[in-house]
Amino acid sequence: MTSVAETDAIRAPARPPRTGTRMPVPAAGLARRVRAFLRKTSRVGLVVYALGLGAGLGLVSADWATRGRYPFGGVTVGPWTAWPRAGASNADPYARAVNARRGEIPLAVGEGLLLSATTDDTGRGLEAGCRYSIAGHTPPARAWTLTVTGRGAPDPARPSLRSGFTSTEILRERDGRFAILLAPEAQAGNWLPSPGRSGALRLALRLYDTPVAAGTGSLDPETLPAITRLGCGA
Amino acid sequence: MRLRFLYATLCGLVLAGLVHIVTVLAIPLLSEADALSRARGSETLDHPQRLYTLSTADEPAPAEAWLPTPDPAVALGVCAYDLDDGPMRVSARTGAQMLSLAAHGRRGAFYAVTDQAAVRGALDLVILTRTQYDEALANEDENEPSRDVRIVAPERQGFVTVRVIAALPSQRAAANEAVQAVSCTIDSPSEEPGK
Repeated sequence: MTSVAETDAIRAPARPPRTGTRMPVPAAGLARRVRAFLRKTSRVGLVVYALGLGAGLGLVSADWATRGRYPFGGVTVGPWTAWPRAGASNADPYARAVNARRGEIPLAVGEGLLLSATTDDTGRGLEAGCRYSIAGHTPPARAWTLTVTGRGAPDPARPSLRSGFTSTEILRERDGRFAILLAPEAQAGNWLPSPGRSGALRLALRLYDTPVAAGTGSLDPETLPAITRLGCGA
Repeated sequence: MRLRFLYATLCGLVLAGLVHIVTVLAIPLLSEADALSRARGSETLDHPQRLYTLSTADEPAPAEAWLPTPDPAVALGVCAYDLDDGPMRVSARTGAQMLSLAAHGRRGAFYAVTDQAAVRGALDLVILTRTQYDEALANEDENEPSRDVRIVAPERQGFVTVRVIAALPSQRAAANEAVQAVSCTIDSPSEEPGK
């Protein structure tokens, strides 16, 4: 009898409450009933199982693949990732589905390029409680903006002072470089306030009217601002 | 019995792959939240529908924005077109601020132009079908060549986005106005007098 129960356990791996060989009594009863059902109407049962598996897995995986970021076509340069083809008419079907679900209007190739970062240069995730320096150069562009967004709704207790810098607003060093300080507390220089006290952050660098959009091969970490974590906590 | 179960699982996985592919391809066609469906509301207007208005002192936060990740320094408007009504003409006057126009179809953006392509401060983008394009070429006066940028659209329906960058917070109101100042009209040469 135990061997039969084991084969049953192997045969039906999708049944949820399966805790080793010692099943809870209601689950064992359910399994036995399912087994009896399968033996009686085995062919119909298997067809229903295959259809259910196909529909369920197919829909869930499609939902997962088109939720959030674009799954393919990303160009990663240091911490920054760009999807140059996401807004083009030859975008892959996943990018088109992601855009359709979010209602996104991505920048066209002739308009500009969006680069986003969720980690610093060493690969650690960006956190609202930490201080970061975003410093260096940007690729050639007529204008650029660098914005920070936090996950979830903004904290109503914090006044939204600014959520980004444009290339015109920024204060530069003598050699043309710039340094933005992303921190929860006020900093000297180009201070970009963190949108919240805690949680993950995302940086977006949008280059407008840039030759880089046509060929992302010219991007290398030297031409993009470096993201360095300066410290966390108060 | 176990073999049949494996066989059924295999069939289920193949089916899952098919369902996955069909679903991903069907999402842009069936979606009601995509940019094209939402831009439809602007079809009767002769100026861009505001999608993202920059916050200024007079207008605090844009309530009507549905764009998931807008650039806080770029005002965005959209004009939907249906080429069955006639060619779509988008006219923009260039100003101090950077302006870009992009034509989107259901598959994505097929053309984009910035104000650097403007001739004498005017940028005229005409979106037409292949037939309308041939007609426009045939009707053109050779002594007076048109300065329009003519684009043949891959599909009959789509939308044009207008982006104006406010480099400084003080330019935000002007950027919002610049988006509204762009005109999106249906070009019907037969209605013009003297032709």
